[in-house]
Amino acid sequence: MSHRRRGVGVGRSGAAKKQFAKKADEMKATSLQSALDTVEKLRVKLQEFAKDHQTEIQDDPAFRQQFLQMCAPLGVDPLVSRRSFWSKTLGVGMGDYYFELAVKIAEVCFATRSKNGGIIAVSEIQEILSRNKKKKVHKGDIPIAVNKLKSLGGGFRIMEIGTTSMIVSVPTELDSDHVQVFSLAESGEGCITTDDIATQLGWNQERADRVMKLLLSEGMAWEDKYHGVSFYWFPSVWKEQRQAELLS
Amino acid sequence: MGDSFEYPDFYNFPPFFTIQPVLATKEKQLDLWRDLIVRYHTQYKLKTLKIYECSLWSNDKIQRSLNREEVQIVADNLVANGHGEWIDESHTTLRVLWRKPEELARDVYEWAVQNGNIGSVCTLYELHSGEDVNGMSFEGLDEELLRRALAVLENEGKCTIFKGDTSEEDGIKFF
Repeated sequence: MSHRRRGVGVGRSGAAKKQFAKKADEMKATSLQSALDTVEKLRVKLQEFAKDHQTEIQDDPAFRQQFLQMCAPLGVDPLVSRRSFWSKTLGVGMGDYYFELAVKIAEVCFATRSKNGGIIAVSEIQEILSRNKKKKVHKGDIPIAVNKLKSLGGGFRIMEIGTTSMIVSVPTELDSDHVQVFSLAESGEGCITTDDIATQLGWNQERADRVMKLLLSEGMAWEDKYHGVSFYWFPSVWKEQRQAELLS
Repeated sequence: MGDSFEYPDFYNFPPFFTIQPVLATKEKQLDLWRDLIVRYHTQYKLKTLKIYECSLWSNDKIQRSLNREEVQIVADNLVANGHGEWIDESHTTLRVLWRKPEELARDVYEWAVQNGNIGSVCTLYELHSGEDVNGMSFEGLDEELLRRALAVLENEGKCTIFKGDTSEEDGIKFF
């Protein structure tokens, strides 16, 4: 009995399984289709929105930021599509805006490199680019533009150092030791001694010396001999702190 | 004295007053010092720099100053780049060249073109103290420096110098 039952059971359940699977596929297909439809609808809405708010998107950095955030989850990137609907709607195309900004950022990085060793605060770049300009550069646009520079090589990248975003424009590898020293200088007066480093980070003198030696040789730090003690200053940090002082 | 001098940002950067140990950074630093010295002397129309009396070497606000040895490095660099000349043998006083002779020559010639002086003659005096040269880089310039600039132009065939009764009355004809 039990044998037969099991046999029938197996047979029945096999057929049922097939049926279930078929149904499941159908349902998956419908829900996928409906999801696709929704996304498509959203995309259309987004395009209508972009058309309606073209000027704001072009001219208002805060608005542009929010618009980009809306686009991201839908897999729409108005920055890359150049010959698409987007570039038609948004005139020159937003990609062009960021490419232009990227070129300006690169220019500032190159021009200031001999003074700061190729490391500069995002806020300093923003301040330089906003001088004598009608269109102020929005802080949030800078990292987007720097990401575009990444693809050109040359080591362009953003590093978070302490509370500050810095743009690094040289291929020099900065490890966590270097970043820690930067942060330490940042949390203080903008300068540091190797004794400070050793004490505050719990390193031995040799490790502190090695890190400072690299930062000096890269031009990222300058030495200040004062009453027989060597203080190390970071132009990128100093500029940023000075700027904050002037604003406050 | 004109407008008050605008010190560059890095004048308040303490390491600016320590000659940098890393060569590339040091070169940049000396460029900055040179620009500062030339701009300062140009703005205040100062022709000489007594190297142990110059107020630029120390910034009281940040309590930093160059020591004697460092002053010497900065001064030597100024001379090496053609923006200064030692006046005395012991190298304590410099003549600061606001503009290099070639730069001055270019300025003088541009002025001559713009003022329609090509083909006509003006005196040396008029070139450094005439009314027409107000605001020019060679206004109030030493006769000797002006002559050097004119020599550059003469070499290029852009002017000839005629002897006058006094050296100030020497005539210059521009081509």
